[in-house]
Order: sequence, then C-alpha cells, then structure tokens
Amino acid sequence: MSTDGSVAAGSVAALQAALAAENAAIYGYGIAGSMLSGGERAAAMTDWKLHQEARDTLEALITKLGATPAPASAAYALPFPVSNAATARRLAATLEDGVTRAYLGLVAVADPALRAFGALATQPPAQRAVAWRGTTTAFPGMPANLPAV
Amino acid sequence: MLAASATTLPAFLVLSGCAGPDPLAGPPPLSPDVRGLFAAVTAENNLVTLYNECISVYSGLAPALRPLLAEHRAHLARLRSRIVEPPGKSLPAKAAAGASRPRVAGGEPAAVTQLSSAERAAVSANLRRLPDAAPDLAQLYASIAASEATHITALAEWHR
Repeated sequence: MSTDGSVAAGSVAALQAALAAENAAIYGYGIAGSMLSGGERAAAMTDWKLHQEARDTLEALITKLGATPAPASAAYALPFPVSNAATARRLAATLEDGVTRAYLGLVAVADPALRAFGALATQPPAQRAVAWRGTTTAFPGMPANLPAV
Repeated sequence: MLAASATTLPAFLVLSGCAGPDPLAGPPPLSPDVRGLFAAVTAENNLVTLYNECISVYSGLAPALRPLLAEHRAHLARLRSRIVEPPGKSLPAKAAAGASRPRVAGGEPAAVTQLSSAERAAVSANLRRLPDAAPDLAQLYASIAASEATHITALAEWHR
C-alpha cells in the first residue's frame, strides 16, 4: 500500500472508521446474542467472532501505516431499545449495515489495494445483514435516502 | 478576407505552435469512467434480460427471482443516471435492442445455477472496475457487487 503522506492520512481515517464500526458491532452482538436462543444465538456468536477477527485485521493495517488503532468505547448507545428476539435480530442487521457502510468508505480512498480490500470487505456484512433481515437490498452500505432515479 | 478550410486550419495550428485541442478531430475519446459505466450498464442489461428470460420460461421461479430482478433494475437505473450520453454514442440498452435473447438452461435447478454463475461474474467484473473509477463511482460498483454477492446466497438458498 502507498506510503504517500496525504494518501496514508486518508487511508488511516477510513480504516479507523471501519474499526469503530467493527468495535460497535462487537459490543452490539453481545447485547443481541443475550436476547436470542438456539440457532440464532449460535449465529450471533459466530458473527461476533467474525467481527473480532475483522477488528484484528483492521488494527494490523492501521499499525502498518504507522498510526495507532483507536480503542473501543466502554459502551455504545443502541439505535433503539433491544428487549426481545425481534429487536435483537433488527439490531444485528443494523450493526451489519453500519459495518458495510464503513467498508464502503474505504472504497473511496486513493490507495488501490485498500480500495480493493474495502470492496471485498463489504460483502460479508452485507450477506449477514440479509441473513438477519431476511431480505436483500439493491445498494448495501449506500445511504438509503439517495434521490430517486 | 482570410478563409480557413478544413485542410488549412490544422496546418495553421501546427505552424502557430498552438497545442490546444483540434476542433476538427471530432469528439474527444470517452473517459475511463464513462467507458466503465458503459460496460457496467451492458452487464446489468444482460442480467436483467437473463432474469426476465428465466421467469418467462420457469414461472415457478418468479416469486424467488422477482425481488432480485427488481434490484438489478435499480442498479441499471442508477448506473444509467450517471451517464450523460456523448454525441454519437448510444447507451448499451439502445445499442443492444436487437441482440438475441439469452438461452436459459434446461430445468429450474440448472436455470438457478446459470443465474448464480452470472451473478458471480458480475461481482468480479464490478470489482475489476474499481481501480480506474472515480471514488464515488467505485463505491457504487462496490455496493452493486455486494448486492450481487447477496443474490448468490439467495439463489443458493433456493437449492436447499
């Protein structure tokens, strides 16, 4: 990956945003998993571990660029109250949407290797969002309120 | 009075040391972004046509395929909205209007597999467009690729 100053700065900022989304997902899956049971709880546990692996990858990339990975917060505000399995599934889907969006941010950086990494990294969370939500979307990670075409 | 003909004007420009664009050379070549968009529109057109053909041959697949088809139409609309049609160039939908219909594989499982292969190829093609694309266009290609990746999973579910 490029070590040019401005390119690296943009890359680090986008990587930190992805890391923040992964950390939020790790925290959120802890909440969601506690409201689920059986196969859904196992799926939440699997996804939680995948987000931890993704966090480790991002931390390594940030460190490689000479920056310090931002630490996770002690707690995160949930986007809505989570009190049962239905809201837990919705939270899991929302977390995956956030991670997808963050990786799409990486696709806009100048570094072609990081751009490719970001594009590939959007796919697993987009798939998991579909698994939790039960429906596909046309533009994973893109703002929902884009003007109609 | 001095009149410039098609033959004398370029000679004049060369002699005067003018390095600007040649007004007689025709429209400029398409930018990499526009070339990429043309290819992406063609690919989405082909997917839409294949889905339509599969639904028309195997109506039992329609409930599973229609939502995915709607998303491909949304991809196509978004991609087409990014192109200001250059003079003398037609968008692929118009250019391909007379193209032959795709051959749908025999049997519903084979047709679903055919769609899955087409989606996989589309994901790869969109990822290949990333290096040369403007940042916002690269994000659109990546998002469409992610959508197509979810279609592969949805089609695999049909087989279960």
